[in-house]
Amino acid sequence: MHEVSIALNLLDIVVEECRKSGGSTVESINIRIGRASGVMTDALLFAFDAVKAGSVAAGAGLNIEEVPLSGHCRECGDDFEVGEEYVLCCPLCGGVSFEITAGRELDIIDMEVT
Amino acid sequence: MNVKVVTRILEANDRIALENRRMFDSAGVFVINLMSGPGAGKTSLLERTLAGNTGLRIGVIEGDIAGTDDAERIQKFGAPVVQINTGGACHLDANMIREVLGDLPLGGLDILFIENVGNLVCPAEFKVGEDMKVMILSIAEGHDKPLKYPLMFQESSALVLNKIDLAPYTDADVAKIRRDALSLNPRLKIFEVSCKTGQGLEEWAGWLRERAKG
Repeated sequence: MHEVSIALNLLDIVVEECRKSGGSTVESINIRIGRASGVMTDALLFAFDAVKAGSVAAGAGLNIEEVPLSGHCRECGDDFEVGEEYVLCCPLCGGVSFEITAGRELDIIDMEVT
Repeated sequence: MNVKVVTRILEANDRIALENRRMFDSAGVFVINLMSGPGAGKTSLLERTLAGNTGLRIGVIEGDIAGTDDAERIQKFGAPVVQINTGGACHLDANMIREVLGDLPLGGLDILFIENVGNLVCPAEFKVGEDMKVMILSIAEGHDKPLKYPLMFQESSALVLNKIDLAPYTDADVAKIRRDALSLNPRLKIFEVSCKTGQGLEEWAGWLRERAKG
């Protein structure tokens, strides 16, 4: 549900960066979303389509790179990737105590401007 | 032309949160972002905390989608309180907090509670300038919640397990809640309380006093 807020924040950054670059139209935007960021990509795409209307990014495509949840097991030291979001344990030793090393991203990377 | 941006999408929110934090620090007030699902007992915990003899000067910002019920409940205790209505938004953000800071006597407070909108997902994503996030889970919500809503458990410094007096009447496995919550966040401080009976609230108040001192 908070994807609309995130889409509005994204649009603010995109419009400002487009202005700074001297461009007039944003063609495409590349962002990175971790699977454990709490953001649903479909909902974000839908929200961004709604909020971009009438802006310099009205025709911009939003490309989302999803980053899997990765962890470092505190018990056996294994570095692993979590395939299923909510199965939170080390696949090597079954340990449930780990640090998240990736998967919390919510970043804009770059964009094409003309 | 390719424009490199490489910034957090919530950068603007984080920047305002940092400005809020600086204001709180210069006023010497410790700020807790209090989060939970709807009905877990956020306002009840605040009422109990205000009614108890904590010796702390406490202020409250109430965040709700609509209505002033919660602020009225807090006002009865004579505590400074401001109500924010988000008008539909499922969480508070840093800018909403910034706009009401002038309405609170920050310099005269030891602790400011920011009671977020009842929601176990979105509030965890938005910093508001707090020193610490504290979450409440009422055991009636079920023991599967930590693994279903991992982000909030990972972001919080303390977990208040409320309605512990209902344990004999539910199938909730409190040991599993503790185990799963600690696996997500080994440093999580856990309190078992009942805002109904008062159980565990002394320990909670003592912990708050320690935070306010620091």
